[in-house]
Amino acid sequence: MENGFNKRIFVAWLILVAISLVYLWIDHSATHQGIPTASTVVTVVAICFALIKVRIIMREFMEVRGAPRFLRRLTDYWVVLMAIALFGVYFVGIAVA
Amino acid sequence: MTTTERAVSPVPEQSPSEHVPGGRDIWFFVLFESLAFTAYFCVYLFNRTQHEQVFLLGQSHLLLWLGVLETIVLLTSSWAVASCVQDARAGRYDASKREALLTAGFGALFLVLKVIEWVRLIHAGHTFTSSEFFQYFFFLTVIHCIHLLIGFVVLGVLWYQLSDQKRRSQPTVEICATYWHSVDFFWVLIFALLYVVR
Repeated sequence: MENGFNKRIFVAWLILVAISLVYLWIDHSATHQGIPTASTVVTVVAICFALIKVRIIMREFMEVRGAPRFLRRLTDYWVVLMAIALFGVYFVGIAVA
Repeated sequence: MTTTERAVSPVPEQSPSEHVPGGRDIWFFVLFESLAFTAYFCVYLFNRTQHEQVFLLGQSHLLLWLGVLETIVLLTSSWAVASCVQDARAGRYDASKREALLTAGFGALFLVLKVIEWVRLIHAGHTFTSSEFFQYFFFLTVIHCIHLLIGFVVLGVLWYQLSDQKRRSQPTVEICATYWHSVDFFWVLIFALLYVVR
């Protein structure tokens, strides 16, 4: 193995790939005879997984884990902000519809 | 050999420090861009709840496995550029240059897969104007690919920096990598919203 191989970012990549593959199973659970069916659970889980992946990319690939506290906090708050915006709009949309 | 030379500003890899990867400016850019994408996503999600059946029908024409494959390809490119930063920091410039090329290679593969997907959908009659779902699909995927194309220019800058000992600058390497990672995580969100959300 090459001298510069970093096990930690490799494991991060593996986790990211694994979560991506889980989407295949999630999708299967919300499809009837080849036609997708509406599901709030699937929507919430899909968005949560995506936000978890974003945080892993920021922490491990973008090296936020070793960055100053303000950047670690800021990126975490940013992910929470995105979650609030996406879920907020989604549930308001359902209520309005 | 240049491969044993030190980078300009090495930082500790594991312990928290005062070092902001790439500097503050690129983070303002990344967070601003993510805000703009979040706004697009919110409009998409709201419209989706108002016209659920139209969006579900549109979604049934997508190939989920292709979206998953595209995601894995882009994640791999992100892994390569993360390794590139670490190798450059440690002075392993030959490995770093290899990883920069690998990043561009996976980025190009993503683009090829995306074009194949667009051509397949257009041949099946699904275009920007065919339904509301495909309007969002083409808008979001094309906007993302424009960011990816800018990413190739950024990788060119990265390669240029790494190629010559006099030009090497670790902050620039980190700025380029941070931009590329942002293209990756925008796709992670776009993929979940277009292909998986129900």
